[in-house]
Amino acid sequence: MQARLFLDIVDPWINWTWLSTHIPYVLGAVQEHLTLTAIALVGGLVIALPLGIAARRWTNLHLRPAALTVFGAFYTIPSIALFALLIPYTGLGILTAEIPLVGYNVLILVRNVLVGLDSVPPEVLDAADGMGYRPFARLIRVELPLALPAIFAGLRVATVSTIGIVTITAVIGLGGLGQLILRGLIESFHTPLVVATALCIVLAFVADLAIALAQRLAVPWARNP
Amino acid sequence: MNRRLGAGWLTAAAVVVLTFVAACGSSGGTGATSKGTVTVAGFNFPESSVLAELYGQALAHDGYSVNYKLNLGTRKVVAPALQSGQIDIYPGYAASELEYYNNGAGEATADPVATTAKLNTYLAKLNAEALTPSQAFDGNAYAVTKATAARYNLKTLSDLTPIAGELVFGAGPECPTYKFCLPGLSSVYGLHFKQTLTLDTDGPATRAAFKNGSIQVGLVFSSDADLNALGLVVLQDDKHMIAADNVVPVVRTAIATDEVKKVLNNIDANLTTADLVTMNGQVELLHQDADAVASAYLQQHSYFA
Amino acid sequence: MSLLQATWQWLTDPAHWHGIDGIPTRVEEQVHLSLESVAIGALIALPVGIVLGHYGRFGNLAINISNVGRAVPSFGILVIAFQVFGLGDVPIVIALTALAVPPMVTNSYVALREVDPDIKDAARGMGYRGLAQLVRVELPLAVPLIMAGVRTSAVQVVATATLAALIAGGGLGRYIVDGLARSDNPRTLAGALLVAALALATELLLAGLERALVPRGIRLLLASSTRRASTFKTA
Repeated sequence: MQARLFLDIVDPWINWTWLSTHIPYVLGAVQEHLTLTAIALVGGLVIALPLGIAARRWTNLHLRPAALTVFGAFYTIPSIALFALLIPYTGLGILTAEIPLVGYNVLILVRNVLVGLDSVPPEVLDAADGMGYRPFARLIRVELPLALPAIFAGLRVATVSTIGIVTITAVIGLGGLGQLILRGLIESFHTPLVVATALCIVLAFVADLAIALAQRLAVPWARNP
Repeated sequence: MNRRLGAGWLTAAAVVVLTFVAACGSSGGTGATSKGTVTVAGFNFPESSVLAELYGQALAHDGYSVNYKLNLGTRKVVAPALQSGQIDIYPGYAASELEYYNNGAGEATADPVATTAKLNTYLAKLNAEALTPSQAFDGNAYAVTKATAARYNLKTLSDLTPIAGELVFGAGPECPTYKFCLPGLSSVYGLHFKQTLTLDTDGPATRAAFKNGSIQVGLVFSSDADLNALGLVVLQDDKHMIAADNVVPVVRTAIATDEVKKVLNNIDANLTTADLVTMNGQVELLHQDADAVASAYLQQHSYFA
Repeated sequence: MSLLQATWQWLTDPAHWHGIDGIPTRVEEQVHLSLESVAIGALIALPVGIVLGHYGRFGNLAINISNVGRAVPSFGILVIAFQVFGLGDVPIVIALTALAVPPMVTNSYVALREVDPDIKDAARGMGYRGLAQLVRVELPLAVPLIMAGVRTSAVQVVATATLAALIAGGGLGRYIVDGLARSDNPRTLAGALLVAALALATELLLAGLERALVPRGIRLLLASSTRRASTFKTA
């Protein structure tokens, strides 16, 4: 399909010749995109998991409302703003991109960690205590496994969300597929734009599927609709 | 039961590790011996990407390890990045750089050498320096659609003065405070437009605004190659408001060895404005990659000999 | 002067409350874009979700629409729409509508599915059929969860409308994008805070509206399921 003659320069939506000669370029962007996403997810989990556990254990610290409020507020701030504000302090690299991405994921994941841990039936906890599990062992061997479905659900949402937001890191020179979108904008060049958008959708689907599969392997006794 | 749980954790861990491995994959081995690493940045328009690639590829050919940060942003983002050491080189434009580093003091002239010398007095305090300016020039230019030019019989910016009040002007966010933009148009030509729209600096929004008639006068760059194809014509700067915006590499003193300077100056010595226009055309109209265009240019001029 | 002080000064500067780049104008633009997008999104999403939920078939379709929708990068859609439609509100409204649809489809579908089958049986026993049953029995019970979906969409859209500035659009995103271009951090922070405040206000307003509209009895009945709404960030 030809583009509308919006700029009087005819430019097909996908120039297959360009695509076939630029496979490494596109794949490189995909790799950068995945790297940024992976770091954000792992970072989010590394913070959210202990945070959720601590919030439930030491309720006198009121960590739960504090964490939800702080990260909740952080969540409402658009990513471009956070990138722009961090530049003077953390420069133009991965750290600037990842701090907001990790922050957003912490909110999503900590909520799910809390819901997951909350959902463990008290009878099960009693039974575990009765069987002689000490608190830490009970956490690792009983509570967390039962919380896994909720945590995985959170991971799926966080992953798809992150893949979308990573495109915006293009405005600070990163962004993987976002760079192709930005190039499409600046040069009025359709192909990288369309290819990148399509690939984002594909990546999100594949990642979602992969996590769902991992969940099915890890938590065979529970099915999440 | 325990085995199941163990398998669960193992799977989860495997997923994480695999993601990492896939993501951190190949970072590409660097050459055995490298003279050092430099980071070359460019502003967020195609010509800057081409210039950055020219510098970067020449340095790479000379044995340096080069990182690129293309489409980084406006001068207000790129210049601080240089000062903080996050980037080492960027392709500047002499007069615009001077007016940025002197906070708009109005010292730039039409003489690229003098302008660059003045620029260096400011850069010295920031541990940076500008090398030898090229004869290749790209400064702010003000365009109108061919229809508007025909309607009001416009050839120069002075022709705009009587009718500016009927026209809408479009430029980027830095225009209201940038010497060679609105302040200059107002003080040198006495232009007071009906309205000024904040779009982008010679970007897709400005072009779109011309297309749908939202603006009649807009900021473009003098070496843009797609103006004719877009039905735009540049008005001549008859009162010489635009000063010497010659291409000049701005580098951090820390990496400005004689070798680096030689490589960069060599490129700029042979670069002409016509070259800029040609290369811009290849990127903007033919959608070729900036690095390929730069590569072709360097090959053609036997830099890789 | 610290960034916070400078931002406070920026926000309290009377010059920033007038004119085309003034705070009231930008807020109005943001609200306008968001309202339009959520309204159009609702017009598309609610009928689809409600019908699918009522008939209970093609449940996977509803889930899949939602999944595809969530996977779509707003930035990409925005730029594609810009290539087709050029400057103006159309591209950002398209991108925001695409963003608004999935949560509303999911929530309205689930809302209709979750109606207690016993109640539906009772309704049928009382003589309700088809459309009447849907409108008079199922929908009122489904309203809280549907409203939660609308609320989720609205808050996401309000926050994401900042992207309009990337294609020279209006709204509070202008402060952020212009601030980035000029390295004017007080402006950027002010923009960010205003967007956050607007998103919060949207959340509170719609929650209050929901509380006012939904009858107390139904609200108590469905207290647990309304917490299902999950926010989802795309910008």
